[in-house]
Amino acid sequence: MMQLVLFLALGSGLILLLLVLAERNRRVEGGAEAVFEARQALVVLQVELLPPAILERIFQQNDLQYVVAQAPRQIQELFLQERQKIVLSWVAQLRKQILSLKEFHLGAARFYAGLSPRTELRLAADFLVLLSICRALQIAVRWRGPYAAPRMAGRAAAAAARVCDFSERSLDFLKPSQLEPFGGDSARNPTLL
Amino acid sequence: MKVNPKRLDVQHAADDLRRRTLSGMARPLDRLIYLASTRDYNTGIYYHDGLASRFSEQVVCEALADCHREALRALVGSSLEELVRQMNAYMDSTHTSPTDFIAAWKKLEPYRVAVPVDTDLLTAEFLFSNFKIALAILEARLDNHPTAAPSAWLPRSPGQ
Repeated sequence: MMQLVLFLALGSGLILLLLVLAERNRRVEGGAEAVFEARQALVVLQVELLPPAILERIFQQNDLQYVVAQAPRQIQELFLQERQKIVLSWVAQLRKQILSLKEFHLGAARFYAGLSPRTELRLAADFLVLLSICRALQIAVRWRGPYAAPRMAGRAAAAAARVCDFSERSLDFLKPSQLEPFGGDSARNPTLL
Repeated sequence: MKVNPKRLDVQHAADDLRRRTLSGMARPLDRLIYLASTRDYNTGIYYHDGLASRFSEQVVCEALADCHREALRALVGSSLEELVRQMNAYMDSTHTSPTDFIAAWKKLEPYRVAVPVDTDLLTAEFLFSNFKIALAILEARLDNHPTAAPSAWLPRSPGQ
């Protein structure tokens, strides 16, 4: 009887150990994926969604003034519909990429980046504010058209740029200058090659 | 400072292209369409015989792609009014009937294949949307003055 209990205890212990190891592997794989997605999100935000040139063009009022002054009513309506689609698409893409960065900061960032608790709190507040602004902007644009809240769009872009800045610092460890040269010691000691 | 020799070659090729070919095209729309036409639809690789005699194929391709992106940036930066003007001038330059031109552009949307392959979604959506509106404006002008080209249409003053 005693032997059976011992066997059962040993078996349970081994199963537990295997589960812990499997979970650790899963977390490391998930972490690498989160880092990759965060890097992608950062590039999309910085290169595609936040450059001032494209944002200024989208929210500039001179196109609206031109259409109102020069085009018949149905073209004015078409213009507003088209601009509304563009603004909503921008907000949706912005929100999607920000959510991806948020996932990274909630999960993988703590394994890789040494952010202080104060910075993490500030970042959490920025995410909250930014996602709320995105929602409010979506509602405002749906109800009142593309030019309903240009200031809110500006605030969203500014907050997103701040989040990008933090995230970029968190992902700094991926920069080649921060990495050991490939081959590690062997690169310094050619005899090992 | 390290200078990438390949990039320098690309810059020389692009400058050459700007000086000899693109300088004759004042409008970004014309440049965009011309540069898109130098690209093979199947491979996405740009070709230019004149440049190929002085530079390698890869350098020519990169130079054309750089100029293509430049033309796109200029066109996206143009106001809607400016885009309408450019489309009107381009339409005149094709010597096609305005009605046929507008009908073909509305139906085939050729501008969708005229942008560089790495154009981001937002920029592409914005430009296509502006093309759509510009075409509607040109069509409305044509409806108001069916016998004249849209360029002959006099815009109303804002007070009217």
